[in-house]
Amino acid sequence: MNGMRIAWRVTRLNFRAQLEYRTEFLLMIAIGAIWQVSVIVFATVLLTRFTGMGGWDSSEVLLIPATRMLAHGLFVLLLGRVHGAGRQIQEGRIDIYLTRPMPVYRQLQLAFFPTNAIGDLTVAVGLMVGALSRSQLDWTPGRISYLIAAVVGGMFLEAALFTAITCAGLRFPAADYWSRWLEELLGTFGSYPLNVLPKAVGGLLTYGLPLAFVAYFPAAILTGHGHDTGVPYWLAAISPLLGVVAYLGARVLWGWSLRHYSGVNG
Amino acid sequence: MAVLHAWRAARVTPLGELHAPPRMTAVLVRLAVQVVLVASLWHGLYAHTGTTAGLAEGQAVTYAVLAVLASRIRELDQYAGRDTVLQHMHFGTIVYWYLRPLPPQRYHALRALGEQLYGFAWALGGYLVCLAAGVVEPPRSAAVAGVFVLSLLLGQGVLYFVMLTLDQLCFWTVRNNAAMLILIFAQNLLSGVYAPLWFFPDWFITLSGFLPFQATLSVPLSLYIGRIPLSDAFGQLAIQAFWVVALFLFTRFLWRRAARRVISQGG
Repeated sequence: MNGMRIAWRVTRLNFRAQLEYRTEFLLMIAIGAIWQVSVIVFATVLLTRFTGMGGWDSSEVLLIPATRMLAHGLFVLLLGRVHGAGRQIQEGRIDIYLTRPMPVYRQLQLAFFPTNAIGDLTVAVGLMVGALSRSQLDWTPGRISYLIAAVVGGMFLEAALFTAITCAGLRFPAADYWSRWLEELLGTFGSYPLNVLPKAVGGLLTYGLPLAFVAYFPAAILTGHGHDTGVPYWLAAISPLLGVVAYLGARVLWGWSLRHYSGVNG
Repeated sequence: MAVLHAWRAARVTPLGELHAPPRMTAVLVRLAVQVVLVASLWHGLYAHTGTTAGLAEGQAVTYAVLAVLASRIRELDQYAGRDTVLQHMHFGTIVYWYLRPLPPQRYHALRALGEQLYGFAWALGGYLVCLAAGVVEPPRSAAVAGVFVLSLLLGQGVLYFVMLTLDQLCFWTVRNNAAMLILIFAQNLLSGVYAPLWFFPDWFITLSGFLPFQATLSVPLSLYIGRIPLSDAFGQLAIQAFWVVALFLFTRFLWRRAARRVISQGG
């Protein structure tokens, strides 16, 4: 409880620090929004030009980027400092964190306030409202609960992937390069039905890089396309749970990596 | 002697890359996977569609794959080496640019030249592999190939000056990460990196016609795939040349103004 109180106080201070440069603060909100809009633009261009993508109608497809973007916005707000953590590792900040009486992972997350998350979430909520209003589905309490679970699971899955890269970054700071690529892949290939891709490529984005579990599988379950995803129905259905499990696994990996961290001074 | 100094300045960033094997491996894997994914995506999208926005399947795939390869030309990680202008301004090390027996504008241009040649080697290697594997279509004629090369060179010139303008912005703003990201986003969107501009609405294509970004990538690639016919090539090349000259003059003006803002040890 005390840890939570300190985390909240640090967050408030970080937020005030971000307000030091007002223009930069507003632009950071804008960049969050613009990044998300770029995903919408890409998805809209594809939806307009290539209707009936993968056997899904456009209102169903829209649910995929909406889920992914909302999960991404929450990830940026709550756990996003693992993205680009290579910079903190390179600057030796981990060595400082190790000397303080607070878990290193929490200190990493509290390094600064992610102003861009405000823009991310604003656009994501807008898109989700749009997707739900265009949806022909019957939004029963069960479906709504599953959608919420999918968003939370997607957030944890994204956090798990970036945490795993940060673990590699503790050993090779240049590994941070992968995190930029991962973000790009999530934005580009996480926003529409993966069954438009050849089976091998779809398999790569399912079992190699589990991008399909972030939004595509949950959206397939919600829209009744769960049997056409190329994986067993039950596997697609437990996507939200897999996100949580993956995050817990990534935290175990983080603990192990930190124990083997040698720092700049050996 | 001048050539030796130029060579030494130009090879700084590529040498940094060559000494970081994990990054080199990452570049190779990323490029290969990205090409496969992008080619698969566009083939998949065209599976139930004929020609759309004036682009047939082969043209769209070729455009998208070449865009991935071209994006390698200027994607070296200067940030890891604390070598971006933004970082130099923050740390105050920009002052060294003004203490060397080499004008900062020439140093910047030489560094960029080295990076672009290094990136070009990656892009060319990737292109030859893709061509051999049949992922991309070859140019339709020798004339198209010649015009494409010329347009690509002009496009790289425009890209250099656009990126230089972003770097020069750092001389005027203390915190500008967000502004930089927004401009880089605009560059990617309006140059057709995310998706060929031909797929966008007409108003968007008209708007981008008034901006320099489409001259960096969209024009050369559209010439290559034949979406811009050879008969229109001269006009497009002239527009690219105009942007090179206009941005050269603009950035030269900014360099002069920027020099007045560099403060060493408090003034």
